Amino acid sequence: MIPVKKLLFGISISLLMLVAAPVFAQESTLTVLCTPQEDWCVAMTAAFEAETGIDTNYVRLSSGESLARLRAGRQNPEFSVWWGGPADAFIAAAEEGLIEQYESPNAAAIPEEYRDPDNYWAGVYVGALGFCSNVKVLEELGIEPPTSWDDLLAPELKGFVAMAHPATSGTAFTAFWTIVTLRADALEAEAAGTGYDEQGFPTPAAIDAAFEYYAQLNNNILQYTRSGSAPGSLAGQGEIAVAIIFSHDCTKLQQEGFEGILTTTFPEEGTGYEIGGMAIVANGPEPEAARMWFDWALTAAAQEIGPTVNSLQLPTNPDAAVSELSVNLTEINLVDYNFVAAGLNRVAIAERFDAEIAAAPTS
Amino acid sequence: MITVRNSGQRYAAKYLNALLKDPLLSIAIIVSVMFVLITIVLPLVAMVGESVSESGRPLFQQYLSSPVYQTIIANTLVLGVLVGMVGTVIGFLFAFVQVKLNVPFKRAIHIIALVPVISPPFAVATAAIVLFGRNGTITRGILGVRYDIYGLDGLVLVMTLSFFTIAYLNLRGMMEALDPALDEAATNLGANKWRIFRTVTLPMLLPGLASSFLLLFVEAIADLGNPLVMGGNYEVLAARIYVTIIGLYETTGAAVLSVILLVPSLTVFLIQRYWINRISVVSVTGKPSGTPQSIDHPLVKWTLYGAVLLICGLIVLIYGTIIHGAFVQVPGVRWDWTFANFDFVINGIGSQAMRDTTTLSALATPIAGLLGMIIAYLVVRKEFWGRNALDFGTMLGIAVPGTIIGIGYILVFNTPIGIGDLTLIPKLTGGQGIFGGALAIVLVFVIRSVPAALRTGSAALSQIDPSIEEASISLGADNARTFRRITLPLIRPAFLAGLIYAFARSMTTISAIVFLTTPQTKIMTAQILNEVENGRYGNAFAYCVILIAIVMAAIGVLYFVVGAQTGAERRLEGGR
Repeated sequence: MIPVKKLLFGISISLLMLVAAPVFAQESTLTVLCTPQEDWCVAMTAAFEAETGIDTNYVRLSSGESLARLRAGRQNPEFSVWWGGPADAFIAAAEEGLIEQYESPNAAAIPEEYRDPDNYWAGVYVGALGFCSNVKVLEELGIEPPTSWDDLLAPELKGFVAMAHPATSGTAFTAFWTIVTLRADALEAEAAGTGYDEQGFPTPAAIDAAFEYYAQLNNNILQYTRSGSAPGSLAGQGEIAVAIIFSHDCTKLQQEGFEGILTTTFPEEGTGYEIGGMAIVANGPEPEAARMWFDWALTAAAQEIGPTVNSLQLPTNPDAAVSELSVNLTEINLVDYNFVAAGLNRVAIAERFDAEIAAAPTS
Repeated sequence: MITVRNSGQRYAAKYLNALLKDPLLSIAIIVSVMFVLITIVLPLVAMVGESVSESGRPLFQQYLSSPVYQTIIANTLVLGVLVGMVGTVIGFLFAFVQVKLNVPFKRAIHIIALVPVISPPFAVATAAIVLFGRNGTITRGILGVRYDIYGLDGLVLVMTLSFFTIAYLNLRGMMEALDPALDEAATNLGANKWRIFRTVTLPMLLPGLASSFLLLFVEAIADLGNPLVMGGNYEVLAARIYVTIIGLYETTGAAVLSVILLVPSLTVFLIQRYWINRISVVSVTGKPSGTPQSIDHPLVKWTLYGAVLLICGLIVLIYGTIIHGAFVQVPGVRWDWTFANFDFVINGIGSQAMRDTTTLSALATPIAGLLGMIIAYLVVRKEFWGRNALDFGTMLGIAVPGTIIGIGYILVFNTPIGIGDLTLIPKLTGGQGIFGGALAIVLVFVIRSVPAALRTGSAALSQIDPSIEEASISLGADNARTFRRITLPLIRPAFLAGLIYAFARSMTTISAIVFLTTPQTKIMTAQILNEVENGRYGNAFAYCVILIAIVMAAIGVLYFVVGAQTGAERRLEGGR
């Protein structure tokens, strides 16, 4: 097994070099729009720079911010490649013509469910949403770690739950769409056709029902943060009891000083998950270098960088080694997350959430 | 200062004549006016224009009639009023103890009171969360209560501690300028100390108190960093503008909200500028005769002193937490000693930001200092049309909240400006902007610092008899030479103060800059925000410690280069 992996790695590197060689003269820089946590961005750009000699800069923005920034800079894009963050944002971006198609020679290695059939984006990691709770605070409040979405509505948790703002954060948007999916399933169970339309997309009624849930949850929310993973640290500090974040972000915190303080649980009725996407920015300033990055980021070697900085998302490349700390997706109940429908509704939901829920005072 | 009112015609002739005779003077005027027009007025006009555009106008009605936004506007104003009041009271307390009480450790207290000026944003808020948060070391650990610091009370606490220095310096300068002869006269007429305080001191200080209140009000409603970190669900306009632009990139919506925020800011600025100055009864002509009488009543004395010591203790505790927190694993949770935070910041994400921020601040500092002195010279000494407008326009750089400046820059400078094919101003903002967007950042640093340099400069100039400069001109020197050889050396302390302020302000500003950072140009405060938001307090504290160290080192260098004459030292440390 290992020699094959090494061989594949070697081949992909030599292929890269072949592709890269004529490019060096033209493009010596690359600007990456990076959505995962900052230290992973640092590690990735440094590794890419070491491998190709291309001077690689990045800006870390949460996925909603990235989308907004790409939209604002549409006439004159400042980024060439966008790496990381839930795929719904990439679907929304493709819809608006902000990213362009690219058929990477390395994409074949990635399972089909983790990439766009139209080649607008490809998945670079996978992760599931969970509840990241502070054990001590929960104990003081006298409640158990939540195991369902409704547990978060407990009156004891008033002001003790945090999530990010769906307008800025892909994590929070994933949480929102998870509820949409659960509500659509419930409506569908009552009467066929009320939960999903003929395209298989959740109906407006399901979306309204999700807004009702978040309006209730709003009473328990301390603060909507800008960045998706930030609530986890609030939980670690003991400022809140439960953070709605990706489980790998909770594991990362446990690895970085919060061992024994934080615990991860999953909602039994089903949780959402993300495919971390990657795409070439349309009309970006460094198209060649961007493609090199794209090819490289799909390799097993590039996908093994995450665990070195405690970013424990699962790799999409089956050849990449999986850290034993990463969550096993087969052991938890995942909702049937429709990324396309989520991507198409993303902008409208973010704005509605901002106006109806985030800005509203709590009762 | 001599002001001669001329009739229109004679004035125009004299004006033209003077300009022709001294081209350098006209160049100085034109450059200053152009600078203010392009870097301050233009972005503001563009922003107001955007807000009343076709798509903006309906938003006004939508926002102003929505109960949610009414609450946000009310929140903003309540916060401003509370911070203004509490900050003024604390500033007054510190000034009173310095000027009127004969107590030990006054110098130490003075230095402690100055610390917040050079501290980066978020530092105080983050330390306050570690100390007084729901799981705070003091609230939870010692007192055993789960205090909810997020929201109005926490914001008032951290903003007061961050901004009260402004009130303190303002009031202290004023109290020292009060002529003790008035107190003596009142004593001779039989008044006791309390009566003197009530009927003599307080009325004389009223303009100072009012202007401190107003300055703090403007700072508080413009502040972005603290509401982002500990606002909880207490929403204020500045944070809302931030989410509108960063999260939704709704420039029109942000412009509309900015104009709503601009109304109270500018109103207060105008009140401060035209009304307070008119009612001011303190005369600054000549030195006060004799030394101020001190208050000896032990109860009064020790109560006030105790209160000041308590606040000093709080400041020391907070900055101690910042420094200590920079060296521990997870401040507030795991107090294990580590250098990992510094390693992360210095060898990881922070090195470029440190280099960029320091370089750009160092570039902006002399520009802001010199420009401030030149504008002060022009405004105080020269007669020309638009003199008041120049002063007013320059002051707008600080009167307008930073978020609004940032959005104005995005609106104006995101595309090249020109006539036909001729580019007059290239694209300044964003990664493709000139110098990777660095020029826009330097400009913002400059316009945020020039007002302070202008104020100290014109205050210093109006204390200096113009006859000295006239003598120089009579002896054949032109205006430029006179400014360089006579005026600038005379106002060196003000120049130095302007430079120090400019550097400290540039290094610590966030609200305008957060919209302007680019992949090529990283700014420390924006990175600190990132670390704070992600809860990596140790890294954030390490950043803050490094930032404070850079500012202190720069102050040392400035003293050395510009030369701390005895006068300069006295003035600065006297806080005037």
